Order: sequence, then C-alpha cells, then structure tokens
Amino acid sequence: MIDYNTAVVLAGTSMLGAGAGLIGTFAVLRGRALLGDALGHAALPGVCLGFLLLGRRSLAAMLVGAWLSGVLGILVVAGLRRATRIKEDAAIGIVLSVFFGAGLALSRYIQTQATQGSKAGLDSYIFGKAAGMLQGDLLWISAAALAALLAVVALFKEFRLVTFDGGFARVQGWPAASLDLLLMGLVSLIVVIGLPAVGAVLVAALLILPAAAARFWTERLGMMLVVAGSFGLVMGAAGTAISAHVSRAPTGPIIVLVGTCLFGASALFAPRRGAVARWIDHVRFRRRLRGQAMWRAVYELIEPRFPAIRPIAIDELAHRTSYTPAQLRRVLRQAEMNDLLIRRPDGRYLPTAAGLAQAARVTRGYRLWERFLTEQPELTSTFARLDVESADSALSHEIVAELEAALRAEGRLP
Amino acid sequence: MILDVHNVTVAYHRKPVLWDIDLTLQRPSLVGIVGPNGAGKSTLIKAILGLVPLASGRVTLFGQSCQKQRRLIGYVPQRESVDWDFPVSVLDVVLMGTYGGLGWFRRPRRAQRDWALECLRRVGLADLAGRQIGQLSGGQQQRTFLARAIAQRAEIYFMDEPMAGVDAATERVVFELLGELREQGKTVLVVHHDLRTVAEYFEQVVMLNMRLVAAGPTCTTFTHDNLAKTYGGRLGILDDAAEALAARERSV
Amino acid sequence: MSQKHGYWRQNYGLVALLACAAGCGATANGAAKSHSRGVGAVAGETSTAKHQYSGDYPMPVAATTGMVADLVARVAGRHAAVTQLMGAGVDPHLYKASTGDMAKLNRAAAIFYSGLHLEGKMGDSLARLARKKPTVAVAESINRGKLLEVGSDRYDPHVWFDVALWSETLSVVEKTLAEFDPVHADDYHAAAAKYRDELAELDEHCRRELATIPAERRVLVTAHDAFHYFGRAYDLEVKAIQGVSTQSEAGLKEINDLVSFIARRGIKAVFVESSVSERNVLALVEGCRARGHQVAVGGELFSDAMGKPGTPEGTYLGMVRHNVSLIVKALK
Repeated sequence: MIDYNTAVVLAGTSMLGAGAGLIGTFAVLRGRALLGDALGHAALPGVCLGFLLLGRRSLAAMLVGAWLSGVLGILVVAGLRRATRIKEDAAIGIVLSVFFGAGLALSRYIQTQATQGSKAGLDSYIFGKAAGMLQGDLLWISAAALAALLAVVALFKEFRLVTFDGGFARVQGWPAASLDLLLMGLVSLIVVIGLPAVGAVLVAALLILPAAAARFWTERLGMMLVVAGSFGLVMGAAGTAISAHVSRAPTGPIIVLVGTCLFGASALFAPRRGAVARWIDHVRFRRRLRGQAMWRAVYELIEPRFPAIRPIAIDELAHRTSYTPAQLRRVLRQAEMNDLLIRRPDGRYLPTAAGLAQAARVTRGYRLWERFLTEQPELTSTFARLDVESADSALSHEIVAELEAALRAEGRLP
Repeated sequence: MILDVHNVTVAYHRKPVLWDIDLTLQRPSLVGIVGPNGAGKSTLIKAILGLVPLASGRVTLFGQSCQKQRRLIGYVPQRESVDWDFPVSVLDVVLMGTYGGLGWFRRPRRAQRDWALECLRRVGLADLAGRQIGQLSGGQQQRTFLARAIAQRAEIYFMDEPMAGVDAATERVVFELLGELREQGKTVLVVHHDLRTVAEYFEQVVMLNMRLVAAGPTCTTFTHDNLAKTYGGRLGILDDAAEALAARERSV
Repeated sequence: MSQKHGYWRQNYGLVALLACAAGCGATANGAAKSHSRGVGAVAGETSTAKHQYSGDYPMPVAATTGMVADLVARVAGRHAAVTQLMGAGVDPHLYKASTGDMAKLNRAAAIFYSGLHLEGKMGDSLARLARKKPTVAVAESINRGKLLEVGSDRYDPHVWFDVALWSETLSVVEKTLAEFDPVHADDYHAAAAKYRDELAELDEHCRRELATIPAERRVLVTAHDAFHYFGRAYDLEVKAIQGVSTQSEAGLKEINDLVSFIARRGIKAVFVESSVSERNVLALVEGCRARGHQVAVGGELFSDAMGKPGTPEGTYLGMVRHNVSLIVKALK
C-alpha cells in the first residue's frame, strides 16, 4: 500500500516527467533546450506579480503570472534576435538574467511586506517543493501533460517538419513561425507547471535529460518521443520513490539526479550509439583490419614461390604490415585455434589448406577493390567501405568479372 | 509568364546582397544561376520563395504571389541547412515532400509511401530508404533532398547548389533528372557552382554579382565578356570557362 | 591628439563616479565611528569605554526579528528608536538583507539580533558589523546547558517560545544598554525588572492554560520545527514537517511518517504558521483524510515572526497568548 501523499506526488511527478520528455524532445532537437532554462528563470517576476495582485491563496494566479511572464521572455528573445545583432545564446542569457533579477527584487520586496510575506513560499519557486503536492496540483499537471500529448500526437508530422527543415516547411506553405511559437508555448506550460515541483533552477533538467538520454537509443523520432516520455516518467516516479524512503531527501533534486543517472547510463551503455558499444565496435574493427593485413601478408610471402609453401616468421609479417610482433601474436593464435595455421617448433608458422584458402580470399577481395578504385576513382566515395571484405557484395557481377579478368591478365588474381 | 522578378533588392543591415534584380521567365526551361561566392545566388532563390524579406520589389509566380502558388513549387535547399543528425530516415525525409497535399493533422498513408519510394528509386536510393540520414554520404544526402523535391510534384523547381561537393555518380543522377524534368515541361532554376558544365546542363543562364549582369539563353549570354563582368579578374576560372565554351562550339 | 582627449573625456565621468562612491563610503564609515567613539575615548583603546553612545536621543537601534525588537523596545523605552528589519510574516531563516537594510544597520548605534543561526543568511554581515559597534546575539547569552542541541555544536534557535528562557535574555540587553548609555542606566534597569515580572506572569499563564489539555492530546504538529522549547517548557510533544531551518526542503518521507503518526494517535488538529507556506500542512491534512482520519487546521501560529504592529499580536506578550489560546482551543 502506498501512502496517499506518496501516491499524489508520484502521479504528479510522473505525468510532469512524461510531458516534459515529450516536449523536451523537440526543444532539444531544435537546439532550444536552454530556452527551457531561460523560461524557468523568466517566470519568477510573473509569479511575484501574481501574488502581489491577487493575493496569497491563489496558486492559479501565480501560475498564470508565471506563464505570461515566461512567454513574454520568449517573445523578447525572439525580438532581440530579429531586431538586433544579438545572437540567440546571448539573447537567452540576457532575458534569463534580467527577468530573474527582476523576479528576485520583487520577491525581496514581497518578503519585507508586513502582510503574509513569506507565506507565498516564493523561495520554493526557485528550488521546488514537490513533497507538499496537493490534489489540486494534480489537476494542473494532468491538464498540461495531456495538452502536450495531444499536441504532439496531432501535430507530429508538422512538428517534425518544422524542427528538421524550417525553410522547406515555409516553402511548402506551413506557418513555421506559428508552429514554432506553439512548441515554445508548450515548453513554457511544462516549465510553469514544473515550477512548484522542482523549482526554476531544475526545471530545465526535466526538459533536457529525458530527451538527451533517449537520443542514444533510437534513430527514429517517433521512438525517441516514446523513450523520452518514458524516461521522464521513470525519472519522476523513481525520484519520488527514493525521496519517500530516505529521510530528509528533497524530492526535486533527487528526481534530477535520477535523470542524470539515466542519461549517464544511456550515454555509456546504449547499443550502437553508447560509448561502450562504440568502443567495442572500434576495437573489433581494428582487429578485423589487423587480421586482413596479416592474411594478405601471408599470401604475399608465399605467392612468389607458389605452389611451394614455406613457413613464415612473425618478424617477416611484422615487416610487411604496420603491426608489431606483439600485436600480431593474438591474431596468429586465433588462426592457430581455428586450424588455419600450424605453429612449428622453431616458432615459424605454416598455413594449412584452409589457411591458404583464407589468405587467397582476403587478398583477392583486397585486389579487386584496389583495381576498382584505380579504374573508377570518381566512384570512390559511393562504394568504398572498409568493413566489406569483398567487392562481390558491393559491386555487380559484370564489374567483378571485368576486374578479375584484368587481374588475371596481370597474373595477380589469387 | 512563369516567373517575374521585378526590382528586387535584398539587404542585410543596409548592406545590399541583391540589388535591383529584374528577371522574367516566359517558358519552361532549365536555368543555371552563376556568380562568384557571396554574389547572392542563394539569396535570389530565397527571395523568390519568400524565405528572406525583400527590401523592395515584387515577385510573382505564374501570375500570383508565391504563397498562393506553393503547391506548384519544389525546393532543394543547400545540404548545410539541416542537422543531419536528426532522427529521421531517408524515407521520412522524402515523405515530407508529400506533406503539402495532406493538410493539417493527417498522416502520410500507403499512397504517399509508395510515391516516396518511387521517387527514391528515381534517384537510385531505394535500398537506403530505412537508413538514418546521418549515415549517408554527401551525394546520397543530396539525392535524398532531390527525391523529396520530386515528391512534391511541382511545376517549378528551385535547387540551391545541388551538385556542390558530390561524387560523379550523384552528379550524373542530377543531370539525368534535370533532363527528365525538362522533358515533362517543368521549369528548374539551379544555383550552380561549376562554370565548366554550365553550357552542358542549362539552356538559360542568369549571371549574378549582386546586380543582374546578364540573363538569357546560354549560347548568347554565357560569353567571355559577361563572364568578365560577373567575375572580375579571376583569370583561372575564365580560362576554364572559355575552354568549355570553345569545346562546345567545336562539337556543335 | 583628439583621440587622447576623447578617451579621457569618456572616462572622466566614470572616474568622477568612482571618486564620489569612495567618498560617500568613507563619510558613512566616519559618521558611524564618531558615534561609537565616546567622550574621552582615545583612538586605539579597546576598553568598554570605546563603545559609548554620544549622540542624540532617541538612540537609533536596530533589531532583526520582531521578538528581539519588542524586547529591546521594552527595556530601552523612550531613549531608543528601535528599527525592526524583519516585518510580520517574514521568515528569518531565509531573510537576505537588502541594501536598505544594510543602511539601517550602518546607521544604528547598536544592533540586537536573535543569534544561534536563526538569521542564517545574515551571519557575515552581522559579524562585520560587530567589529564596529555593539552587536548582541541575545539568545547566545543563555547558558548553553539550557539550550537544545540539534547537531555537533549547533543549537535550536527558537528560544523565545520558552518564556522563562526568553526572560533570561533580558539581562544581556539590560547590561549592554546600561554600559553603552550609562546616563540612563537606571531607567534601563527599572524597565527590565518590570518586564521580567510581566514575563514571569505570562509563563505562569501559559503553564496553567496548557495544563488543561488532556494528556493523550498533548501533541503539537506544525510546519517547521520551531516549537521544541515550547514543548519542553510546557510539556507537549512536538512534531514538524520541515526541520529546524526552513532552508531545507520537506521530504516526502517526513510527511508520510507524520500522516501515520497523526492517524495512529488520533490527533485533532495541526497548525500552519504565519511565516511559512502552508502547502506542506495542507498535504498532511489531505493525506490524513485519505486514511479516513479527519484532522483540522487548528489555526495559524506565529512562529518565527510576530503579528502586525499595532495589533495585540504585534507584541511578544500578545503573540504568545494568541498562540497558546489557539492551541488550547484546537487540541482540547
């Protein structure tokens, strides 16, 4: 049985995380991730003004104020970019600091007011106060998350187009600027709803971390949205669960820490795009190259006196290839285990029949490529792939036959 | 009247990029736009399409403004204009060409997919349809953009340096495509970077260097004099271009 | 030639500005120094004679919280004008001094604050000011053995809720004022004695009233952990959502544990505070309701700040009475 309060916070942070993951995906792909950060900071004066104008009990007033002031901030960024020479990152920085500074000044003023100054809990808008989530808050959060979901589902192709190639979108007749504004509006909605939960400083993390982590797992936008939404949900849920069981653990920061772990794990361990996978791939690739070089060297050493087969010393192989004997030893051992080479008592190697066939195959493939690229240099970038052993798989039969004929004429076809 | 560019000036913070351009196109043709770097060739295309604001002047396409005629326009932007790390596949990008006919909220269906695959086949990329675009070579990326433009089923195509930095195979594909489009009676305006092939590819040429130096049929307009006026004292290029002209004349 | 002139002309304004700023700073410092240098004091002397007031009356005195201001005002009477930095409803744990506040502190001849890290974010400023003028942390004058420890060498600063303990801070205020302004020392001693009696009476009142709550209902649940001294002095069990300082965010586990506790013990009411956001307490109420236990919000207690000046709750005596009557009514 989950405690009621935990359940409320769990539902709230999960929905918030999911919504943030969805919308954050587009923000991150657009390179606008920091706009979420700017928004969080720009919302502060709105919160203060909402409090001043409409009184302490109105959470709605403060959230609407936050949203309006956040949107104003975005418009100022856009205006600065369009009307002056200031670039986007500087414009964001300016808005972020000016608005946040104004917000701090206002909050300080409110603090000193004789009536109910600190009751607004304005400091909690900077750092968040997820543990005290009320049932009423859930209403706002689910509305925002639902809006995000509906928008993304309904306008998936429009958002994708505008984010990928805005110029093309405009030529095709789409209102790219309005769609952009809609996306930013959704970002600000998520930011504002997220303020009471994780605070202005951390809300950017909610938008960025799930999307950035999701990027490592897929090459398709649709899947990335699903993964980002799920990561966001897990972030919120796990963060809440941990905070519910550990004393004095502030929910907001723990959520962000969970997100950071998700991101770190993705960056390292995601298949194909993760750092570990790429490193393994790289190691394998280099080993392959080494093997190919070795077999080619074997063949070339034997070729002059073929069909007589002579034993080969490691040093000869090292001399022919660019590898040291130490580096070759592993490949040679592998070949030994596969019965492609026999190691003689004097330390030299003798290829078996199978080994000879292997050497011939590798050399043939290499020479076909070499020949092809010499004859058709303009097709180099289209066809040449280092990891394809044989030209057969990439080139058509006729071309291969031609190349073979040419090589045979030179006496170089294995 | 296909295209009418009247008195167009485009400026970036008071510095003119295009100055008083007057251009008309009466018949469907293949048009090459040439000029030195920074001459405003890309900007001309963007100005016609409404992607950059005009400081002055007016553009009409088939008698109407560009916004009204967007269904008839096909666009191939420069390769650098997108982030190729974006999580979309080649087919996804080509499908974007069909969005114009779909309207809001609708997703591409079977018919659009088949058409997109057909366009990919036309440019020789059919077996790369599922590949993420960042994994393609430069030429393949360019061909993806071309396929997208074809998918738009336009009447007039605007291409921004489609053959820059691509391999010979891609260049051949583009050339064949241009020929096909010409046969279908379409108009294609291409910003081209290689003077040596202008005479071979294009029947009309627009020579630009912030102002319109010359425009008209290639055989009469692409002369040594006009080249000098467009490029100034860049002798090397002129010699190559002159070579090409001479070679073409010889073959005729 | 003209370029060089232009450079200086441009920067002349900046240089002039800097010169003015430096001058103003020096003047302000000078003024403060002249106030604290007493008649007959020699520069460099470190005896208590150095800190003696020699200006106009009423003396400008600064205090941080309302409780301290009230205390000093009662002792100093008409001889001092007490400026209070933190108004009603202000949370002293989070309060950051603004430039205006620093000006007030600089103008004051003496400064009184609560201490024990209650004014958590003003520590550096107060330490700096202590070198220039009498700056007294009234709560720190209490014998450490009587304080509640909340960590190694850290004490709970909310001493004013134990009226008897708070009464002990009178002596340091009395002594400081008497030494600083020996001219009116007798008045200060008399006022302090009178106030001490009033506080003793208040203490007795509290004891009497709170004793009427039945034993099993003697639990006080508030937003932050400000009432331990209160609980110890008047025999109440004290529980809170946030810790001793509101700087720390409330944890979900604390709320869950409190909900269980409240439901299990059948507590009738919990309390919000005037200077702390009520969200956490409301979350507590919802949590209890979900368990089928109806707990009411017993009212708003004054914890780290007093009420509006001019109202009865704007004085220390009134504030304590208000708290006690609220608690008694809600829990009985």
